[in-house]
Formats: sequence, C-alpha cells, structure tokens
Amino acid sequence: MRTRAPLAGLLLALVLVFVGPAAANAQSSDQVKKEAKELAEKNGGKEADVNCIGDLIDGKRVDDCHKAPSPILPPTNELIWGAISFVAVFLLLWKFGWPGIKAGMNARTERIKSDLDQAEAARTEAEGVLTEYQAQVADAKGEAARIIEDARQTADAMKRDLQAQAEADIAAQRSKAASDIEAAKAQALADLRGEVATIAIGAAERVVERNLDPETNKALVESFIDQVGAGRN
Amino acid sequence: MILGLDFPPISHAIEWRDLFGTHGAFAINKVVLLMWLSVLVVAVFFFIASRRQQLVPTGVQNVAESAVDFVREGIIMQTIGKEGLFYTPFLLTVFSFVFVCNIWEIIPGAQMPVNARMALPMLMALLVWVIFNFVGVKNQGIRYLKNVCFPPGVPWPLYILVAPIEFVSTFLVRPLSLSVRLFANMLAGHLLLISFAVLSTALWNSTKVGAVLPGALLIGLTGFEILVSALQAYIFTILTAVYIGGAMHPEH
Amino acid sequence: MLHVLAAQDSGELVQGLTAVGRGIVYGGAAIGPGISIGIVVGNAITAMARQPEAAGMVRTTMFLGIAFTEALALFGFVLAFIISG
Repeated sequence: MRTRAPLAGLLLALVLVFVGPAAANAQSSDQVKKEAKELAEKNGGKEADVNCIGDLIDGKRVDDCHKAPSPILPPTNELIWGAISFVAVFLLLWKFGWPGIKAGMNARTERIKSDLDQAEAARTEAEGVLTEYQAQVADAKGEAARIIEDARQTADAMKRDLQAQAEADIAAQRSKAASDIEAAKAQALADLRGEVATIAIGAAERVVERNLDPETNKALVESFIDQVGAGRN
Repeated sequence: MILGLDFPPISHAIEWRDLFGTHGAFAINKVVLLMWLSVLVVAVFFFIASRRQQLVPTGVQNVAESAVDFVREGIIMQTIGKEGLFYTPFLLTVFSFVFVCNIWEIIPGAQMPVNARMALPMLMALLVWVIFNFVGVKNQGIRYLKNVCFPPGVPWPLYILVAPIEFVSTFLVRPLSLSVRLFANMLAGHLLLISFAVLSTALWNSTKVGAVLPGALLIGLTGFEILVSALQAYIFTILTAVYIGGAMHPEH
Repeated sequence: MLHVLAAQDSGELVQGLTAVGRGIVYGGAAIGPGISIGIVVGNAITAMARQPEAAGMVRTTMFLGIAFTEALALFGFVLAFIISG
C-alpha cells in the first residue's frame, strides 16, 4: 500500500516522458519498459517496485504485481535489529546496572536491619533500666510505708501506755481519796461516838444530880440535845 | 474515504521507509531507530541509577528502585516465590524494555509504538518460550512433559481430552497469545489515536467547533494509552513470571 | 448489499466483502471476551470489597484473568488483518 503512491507518481511520469514520444517514434513497448526500469533504478527505486513497472505499463494494477506487506508478519530487518536490541539491553542492564542497584538495595536493607536491631537493643536496655528504676521506686515506697507504719505503731503504743498510766493514776488517786474519806469518816464517827458518849455521860450526870420528875427530866434531856446540836453546829 | 475523512491505510500507519540508504536485512527504519533509542534509554537509566547509590534514594535512583521493587514484590513474589528472585534481572529487562518501547506511542515526534510491529513481541515470546521450557526440563527432567500434559487430579478418561488441549495451550498458544496480546494492544491503541487525530484535524479544518469533542477524546485517549503501555508491560512480565513459575512447580 | 453484488469490478466486490468480513470477524471475536472481562472484574471487585486485606492478590489474579480472556479478542483483531481480498 505504501508503495502505491510513489509507483503511481512514477507511472504518471513515465506516461508523460515516454508514452507520448513512444507513440510518436513508434518505439516498441519493450524499449519503453526497459528505459523506465533503468530510470527507476537510477532514482533509487526498490527492486520489487522496479520489477512492477512492466506490469504497470501493460495496464495491470500494483496489487497484481506485488502485495502490500502484511501488517502482521515482521520484516527481516526489524527482527534482526529487535534481537540485537533485546540482547544488548539485557546485557547492559545485567552487567552494568543490576549489580550496582542490587548492591545498593542490599546495603540499604542491611543498614535498615542493623538500625532496627540497634533500636531493638536500645529499647531492651531502656526497658531494663526502667524496670530497675521501677523496682527501686517500689522499694522506696515500701520502705516509706514501713516507716510510717512503724511510727504509727509507736505512736499507738505510746498513746496506749499514756492512757493506761493516766487511768492508773486516776484510779490510784480515786482510791486514795476514797480511803482518805473512809479514814476521815471513821475518825469523825469515832470522834462523834466519843463526844456522844461524853455528852450522854454529862446528860446522865445532870439527870442524876438533879433527880427531877420525868417532865423536867425530859425537858432537861431535850435542852441538852439542843445544846449539843447547837454546839455541833 | 469514509464520511469525507481520508483515513490512511494501515500500512501507512505502521510501516516506515528505509533510511540512510540502507537496504535488506539490516535496513534501518523508524522502528529500528526507536529500538536503539529504547536500548539507550533503559541502559542509561539503570546505569545512572546504579552509579550514585544513596541511602535515601532520590530522582532516577528512586524510580529505578521502585521498578526493581515492583518487579520483585509485585510480580516475582506474587507468582513464583522466593526462588524466582534469580530471574529479577531478566524480568526487569523485559518490563522496562517493553514499557519504553510502548511509550513511544505517545511521545511527540516518535508516536510509533515499537511493539505495534510484530518483531519484538514475537522475539520476546519465543525467548520466554525457550526459557520456561528450559526451566521446566531442568527442574523436573523428562517428567516435565508428563506433568504438563497430564495434570494431576483429573479422572483418567478425561486425559484423552485434556492431554492434547494442555499440550497445545502450553507449547503453541502460550507464545502466540503472549506476542499477539502485546502486539495487538499496541497496534489497536496506535490506530485509535490515528483515527481520532485524523477526525480532529478534518473537523478543525472544516468547522473548528466540531473538533472540540474529538480533540478532548484524543487527549483522554492519549492518557489511556499511557495506562495501556504500562499495563501491557506489566502483563507481559507477569505472564512470563507465571510461565516460569509454572515450570518450576509442577503442582500448579 | 445489492450495491456490493452489483459492482462490476470483481476486485471491488472482493474488497467490499473483505471489509465486511473483517468487521464480522472482529465484532464476533469481541463478544465473548467482552462479557468475560466484565465477569472477571466484577467478581474481583466483589472479592476485594469482601476482603480488602486480600486486594493485592486479587488484583494480580484479576489482571492475569483479563490477560488470558482478552487474548481471544486480540486473536480476532489480528485475524481481521490477516483476511485479505
């Protein structure tokens, strides 16, 4: 198909250049074909196209002479260059590009791995320190709690002691007071008893001395008792 | 001519004339030039990335290491496992080379996906075919063929049906589908972009306003083709990994 | 269709029928994969929504499934080019 346009142009040129004079000079058709082929070859026409000129002059179609190349089948030159290109690109990439890229990527992988390992180690260490620190803090807290507990217990004990002592003191004072009271009471009673006895003896002495009638007697006793009571007050 | 639009025939869109007066088997055309450029881009990219290795990657190194990481973690570890890491350079080459070859589709000035020609996909699919069969024979010896054709866990009468299907699908359809998938995706994307570009140009020349919608679609499709380029590179690579992994572990 | 059949030039007829054939081939080849990719992706989304933690694995498998299914449509695409008049 691509060859059609140049061929048609070529044919037109041939008609103009040769066919007119050919008719005038009565040249043979073979002569025209030969000269046309030579001209086409001189102008760089492909062999397959040049061979078609004879058929074209005879009035046949381009398609009768040679078919348009198939769009499917690959031409030889493209096959050969394609093979060379693929092999070249594979070898270039394999020999020059790939080792560098592979080394670079592997180095990065290694680097990242070692970085991660280091980070992991640092983390483990930090965790150890943290655990230790936490243990210390816990110890300190326990110690503090223990001290506070001790102090509290001591305070409790002291409080209990003081209370007990205070209670004992109070009890002792109270019992002493009670016994004092008892003694004072007993003393008072004893005193009273002695006085009453004295008074009674005195009253009796008076009664006996006067020997009076019962009424006088009674009045005497009563006056005596009043006297005693007043005296006691 | 469709609706007054002159869509170019497909050969105009993907076939390029030989340049620099070269002919024959070593002829150089635009596709070949783009292949060379892709080789250069991939090689220089990974070379730069490997030269200045920094601990914290930046710029080129970052992108390159993302690609390596993607191939390693996203493709190999997901499909083969740890023992597939040996194939990282190969799969990395496949991934980056296919992607760069694809992305020319939307680079202004190039605008031709190398993989829209059958040459590279076919070559790479054949290479993958050779590699996964080699791995299979190396890891399982002669039992590789038996494991492929007679997968365990199938009642034996079914083997009459299963064995030919497995054989064909493993040894014939795999390379075919692997190459055709990449090729056809890129070709279809290329043709799609061309169609919308032609449509936009024609409408711009005639009505101006009418070109707004196809122009916007063209931009959107260009973005979509970036996605397709990356996705096809990913799929090509992950299928390669799956085939290699399947040849390593017969129980799959 | 009548126009096609009425074409005087057999070359044009073949060309026209080739174009029709290409359309039918690709259109036919795209039906199944179109439906299948919808099923694959839909189920993948369901799985990802149920288990977001498995999304990575599901996505990988989804792309694999799409790739295998899509290949059939692409065979049709390529076949459409292979058909020549």
